[in-house]
Amino acid sequence: MGDILEFFEQMGFMNITWQQGLMLLISFFLLYLAIKKQYEPLLLLPIAFGMLLTNLPGAGMYHSELWSAFLDANSPAYHSYGTIMREGGLLDILYIGVKAGVYPCLIFMGVGAMTDFGPLIANPKSLLLGAAAQLGIFLTFLAANAMGFTEAEAGSIGIIGGADGPTSIFLTSKLAPQLLGPIAIAAYSYMALVPVIQPPIMRALTTKKERAIKMSQLRPVSKTEKIIFPIAITTIVALILPDAAPLIGCLMLGNLAKECGVVDRLSKTMQNELMNIVVIFLGLTVGATATAESFLNIRTIMIMSMGIVAFGCGTAGGILLAKLMNVFSKEKINPLIGSAGVSAVPMAARVSQQVGQEENPSNFLLMHAMGPNVAGVIGSAVAAGILLTMLG
Amino acid sequence: MILAVNWSHVWMVTGLGFMMVITLLVVLIFILKLLGAAISGAVKAPKASAPKASAPAATVAAAPASNGADDDLAAIAMALHLYFNGVHDVEPTEIHIKRVERSGWNSKLYGMNNLHR
Repeated sequence: MGDILEFFEQMGFMNITWQQGLMLLISFFLLYLAIKKQYEPLLLLPIAFGMLLTNLPGAGMYHSELWSAFLDANSPAYHSYGTIMREGGLLDILYIGVKAGVYPCLIFMGVGAMTDFGPLIANPKSLLLGAAAQLGIFLTFLAANAMGFTEAEAGSIGIIGGADGPTSIFLTSKLAPQLLGPIAIAAYSYMALVPVIQPPIMRALTTKKERAIKMSQLRPVSKTEKIIFPIAITTIVALILPDAAPLIGCLMLGNLAKECGVVDRLSKTMQNELMNIVVIFLGLTVGATATAESFLNIRTIMIMSMGIVAFGCGTAGGILLAKLMNVFSKEKINPLIGSAGVSAVPMAARVSQQVGQEENPSNFLLMHAMGPNVAGVIGSAVAAGILLTMLG
Repeated sequence: MILAVNWSHVWMVTGLGFMMVITLLVVLIFILKLLGAAISGAVKAPKASAPKASAPAATVAAAPASNGADDDLAAIAMALHLYFNGVHDVEPTEIHIKRVERSGWNSKLYGMNNLHR
């Protein structure tokens, strides 16, 4: 009889708190969004399942207290990966890749191998739009400071405006690891919601005439240019801003593998197997950091609300700069491509195309928008490097 | 809470950080333009030294037209080139039917047993 009672006492049902119950409901909702609504399912599904696993009482797959000790300078487990390996669960061990900043760089390698920088090389001015869209990062950094976050935390919250999940995770793991869960979830959720968040801002800031502007076809880009581009960008950016080297270096390594044409096997592995494996690990472990005690508090709500402000400001920054460029340049730019400067590749570019075609069905903005879109990836990595240098 | 913030540093990070992003990407714009100019210059050089061809394809390609029409003209020029130079694929008119040989693998006759009556 005693054994049976003990068994019942050890059941998760007997130990679950209301906060854990709520987190389980949130994870079910996210799973619903991923499977039924197909909102970024490749990311949202592992994140939601990681959230489910970590909030199951007694499962012991992720231990937030181990990671708190890891960050506590007075604890014997301070910065001790050995303790994590010895005492941690499956998700703790996988989480080491996030903590060490390995997964975001590997994902950037895959992103580089899948990205065509041709539109950016053909129209280098689009780098300006990618830079202007980083405005959201710095405005949100200001706002987060005003709301009582430390400067390092504010920098991590601001980077959500870069609309780049791996960059957000990379910077947060270095500056404010305690906020990794809410920031990663905010970044990926808003990336999935780009088609919902951006169009109203785009319509509000542009006239019908501006949205209907047709742009001339981009010049063809030679293979030599495409090969030299990643080498030149890595060298220059890393020499100017060494903290941005891991992200930019991996992005450009992936791109070089794709463009040079002599290492097809490596390029395909980066695009498929490596990328998919890392996405599974990253999604699961980021979801696992969303424990009830770290997620259900006022700071998470503040982070989520500032994340959307960051996104909106970034979108507005790109559009306004495109409008400003139209004042000075002879060849008109459709300001809708400015919104693609927030990185979210390729969704933001697709949104520019869709909104442009609503005004003028014969207008094809996709390739023009891909320029600022990939420039946004470079821009957000550079912004992360700058914040890391100044606040790290 | 707001008073506790070191605002001068925060404003410095905001202003300087954003300006650095812009500056770095402007530097990249100049480098890309330079790269494009250098490479296109290198590519154009042999074209300039090429003899003025009077081939129909070259004449058609040189005609000024919009981008969409360029593609059409290129396709037509290629078709003419293939036709006049006999480069298009020629179908062989011979029909080869391989004679089927019988063996133990494809014929039932060889596989039948003699029945003892």
